[in-house]
Amino acid sequence: MTTNKNDKFNARTVSEEGKSIVYLSGELDLSVAPDFRLVMEPLVGDSEVDLAINLKELKYIDSTGIGILLSILKARHSANASFSVEEVPTQIQKLFDMTGIAKFFEPQENSQ
Amino acid sequence: MKADQTVTLNLPATADYVDIVRLNLYGIASKMGFSYEDIEDMKVAVSEACNNSVLYAYGQEGGLVEVVFGVTREELTITVKDEGVSFSLPGNEPSDTAPTLHDKDLHDVEIGGLGFYLMQALMDDVSVASESGKGTQVILTKRLTRSEEKV
Repeated sequence: MTTNKNDKFNARTVSEEGKSIVYLSGELDLSVAPDFRLVMEPLVGDSEVDLAINLKELKYIDSTGIGILLSILKARHSANASFSVEEVPTQIQKLFDMTGIAKFFEPQENSQ
Repeated sequence: MKADQTVTLNLPATADYVDIVRLNLYGIASKMGFSYEDIEDMKVAVSEACNNSVLYAYGQEGGLVEVVFGVTREELTITVKDEGVSFSLPGNEPSDTAPTLHDKDLHDVEIGGLGFYLMQALMDDVSVASESGKGTQVILTKRLTRSEEKV
C-alpha cells in the first residue's frame, strides 16, 4: 500500500453518448489487477453502452490482466453487449495471439 | 550449464515486488545483448513464475521468493524459488500441454492456466521442480542469439 500505484498503472474512462472508452497506461499486472477490476465493474455491467479499452499507452500485461479481459468478454458476450480493444501495441498483440484471446476481440457478427 | 556469474534477489512474496524482478531482468538481459523482443518475452515469463509463488506458495502468511539470474556467454537462466506449499502446474508432466484458448468457444473458456503456457511459449526451456514441504523451483532459460557475431 506504500507504493504509488498511479505511477505504475492508470485507467482513465472517457464516456460519451452510448460509448465508454477506458484508456490504460503503464503496467497491468497482478499488483494492480484489483484496481483495474474495480474500474471496469460498473462499465461492464452497463450493457446499454458500447465498451472499449484503448491500450496505446499500456506497456505490459500479464496473464492476470489477460484473465480479467477474458472475464469481461464473457460477461459482455452473455449480456449481448459489445467489448472491443483499440490500438494494441505489438508486444501485447503477440500475447493476445499466443494465448488465443485475440480471436474473441475480432469483430463479431451478431447472429441473434 | 554452470553460470559464470549470478545475481540473486530475495523479495517478499507479494505482488508489489514483481515489477522489481522485471527491472532487474531488463538490466541484466540488456547488458548481455538480448534483443528488445527477447527481453519483453522474458519479462512476461519471469513475472508469471513470480506470480505463481506470490499467489500459491504461502497463502496468507508472508514468505520470500528468491530469483537467481545465471549469466553465461550463451544464455540467461532465471531461477524462481519459493519455500511454500508446492503447487502443481498444468504442463508439469511432459505429456501434458498447458491450455490455451485457441480451440475454445467463449462460453467454454476458463480463466487461469495461461501463465504457465506463456512461460513455455516465450522461453527456450522451462523446468519445474517441486518437492512437498520444500516449495517450488521454476527454471527459465533463454539462449542468446547473436545476429552479428563475428566468425
